[in-house]
Amino acid sequence: MFYLAIRHLLARKRQTLLTLIGILFGSMAYVVISGFMLGFQEYLIDQLINNDAHIRVRAKEEYLHEHTLDREFFGAAAHVFWISPPGGRKDNARIEDPQGWYRRLRTDPRVEAYSPQLIAQVIITRAKATVSARLIGSEPARQVRVTNISAFMTEGKFTDISAGGNRILLGAELLAKLGARVSETVLLSNGRSTPVPFKIVGAFKTGIRTVDEATAFGALADAQRINATPSQVNELAIRLYDVESAASLAAEWRGFSEEKIQSWDEINANFLNVFTIQNVVRYMMVAVILIVAGFGIYNILNMVVTQKRRDIAILRSMGYTTWDVMYLFLVQGLILGSAGAAIGVIGGYWICRYLETVPFGGSPLGAGAGHMTISYRASIYVYAAALAVGCSALASLLPARSAGRMQPIEIIRAGAE
Amino acid sequence: MSILLRNVAKAFGDPPLPVLQDISLEIGDGEFVALTGRSGSGKSTLLYILSTLDRPSGGEVLLSGHQVAALSPLDLHRFRNEQMGFVFQFHFLLPELSALDNVLMPARKTRQERARRSLALELLTQFGLGDKLASLPRQLSGGEAQRVAIARALVMQPRYVFADEPTGNLDSANGELVLNIFRETNRTRRTTIVMVTHDADFAAMAGRQVVLRDGRILGESQASA
Repeated sequence: MFYLAIRHLLARKRQTLLTLIGILFGSMAYVVISGFMLGFQEYLIDQLINNDAHIRVRAKEEYLHEHTLDREFFGAAAHVFWISPPGGRKDNARIEDPQGWYRRLRTDPRVEAYSPQLIAQVIITRAKATVSARLIGSEPARQVRVTNISAFMTEGKFTDISAGGNRILLGAELLAKLGARVSETVLLSNGRSTPVPFKIVGAFKTGIRTVDEATAFGALADAQRINATPSQVNELAIRLYDVESAASLAAEWRGFSEEKIQSWDEINANFLNVFTIQNVVRYMMVAVILIVAGFGIYNILNMVVTQKRRDIAILRSMGYTTWDVMYLFLVQGLILGSAGAAIGVIGGYWICRYLETVPFGGSPLGAGAGHMTISYRASIYVYAAALAVGCSALASLLPARSAGRMQPIEIIRAGAE
Repeated sequence: MSILLRNVAKAFGDPPLPVLQDISLEIGDGEFVALTGRSGSGKSTLLYILSTLDRPSGGEVLLSGHQVAALSPLDLHRFRNEQMGFVFQFHFLLPELSALDNVLMPARKTRQERARRSLALELLTQFGLGDKLASLPRQLSGGEAQRVAIARALVMQPRYVFADEPTGNLDSANGELVLNIFRETNRTRRTTIVMVTHDADFAAMAGRQVVLRDGRILGESQASA
């Protein structure tokens, strides 16, 4: 029967070729679209994971509301009505009991590294240029283990800020805004204090504009002094051994701490939502292509079954069974499906290889790959082939079944009349 | 005793329109039987009931001692493959296959296409088609195609050959050729042949004629030869 199926396919070369092309395009589109989209997603996630901490513990900024102070002033039992209710916020957001956190993080086997930080708003002045920026104070030796910042240095080394005091690193855009160069001195102030001179010992460029134009790195002690909050930290950056466990670990810590704790996927939830939408779009596009290809198979086989009624009758009279006749048509669909899948997957692979060489300006998270990133995950290829074969099997099943159900006597009788 | 019909009836449609009524017939091994009668007399229907392609609405059919109605579909198919050959008014050759491949189609069912190849070649040569082995059905004349179809019916060396108007589409020269093949096969291989025809001359070439009229057996005649 397989032999006859091949002969059937070869007897109508044009139709066979057209159906084949339909399936081929379906599986090829799946491979290319998936490779492209997943490559982009993998690249972005990779950047998110490697460049930033996996979990951030942030001090809560506490705001006062009407009844915040009731207990302190009047005791627990009193009902208080303020003429002018208290408002505003607590002085400085800080992590309570940082030593407790350090102890916990040191002993937790899931934590690879952590870095306490003090993030402060500062005003940087050079000659007449004044720019406000975020000063991230950290212990450089710890910071480089938690984030990838040392990979983004364009001048100097990240650990240079630890040598001596009053040294900072500036983002490349920030440097340009100030009109400064590395090794020059700028003045830093928290807005209330007298400006303090800092020496620029390096520059970095992450590729994210908002970071590059408003971020400065300094030693933790320097930042604490500028902010007038000695020995306080307001953020802990934590790197884990297993990225996937970040969300569950963050949830676990949230259970007992006052601080705001977020894992990398919670911080970047909007990115990840976009990925979900992308995946839906990807599946829908491929589904449409394959459904069209599937209908192609269905239509042609249906027509062929009608045309081949006499052949079916004679095959049945020779002793071929219902199943043999079904198999004859089913196998044609499957041959088309598998051949289309094979060629499509291979073609898709080569298109991906080509796409990879297409230059792709400035990557969104910096450290630019400089070209398209394509995923070659094996699952893409398996899915593409499975979808194509599955669709063609499904599409040929109905015509094959109707062929198998034909009774030889009815066809012969109809033919004789 | 090889084919036995007892009180077979067949009706079509609703309300049932009787086509065959109360047919009892015995066809012995090695007989060459012609079923004749006018069109509408039910001879084709009788042939299809004899050959298991159709089922009677009443009565019973015994083939080589087996109740046809009691055979499982699988046994029925095996029976058709190994013991029956069919020739129709149209040759019903598969248009994609060469003459030789068409003849070997029944053998493919049981993967005997190699074993049966020499017999197929012998049959085709015997039928004067030795030079058309690779021809496609559309390259053959009507008579040639019908001879290929007969070779196909004989390639499994069946006990029974059923032919429905095998000469219906042929000129008399080709028709005679076909009839001679049947006679020869019947004589040398002892194959039972049941043939439907409305041509009195061809019917006369068979060993035994069964005449039908309005769904009943009108009479029989035994040929002298």
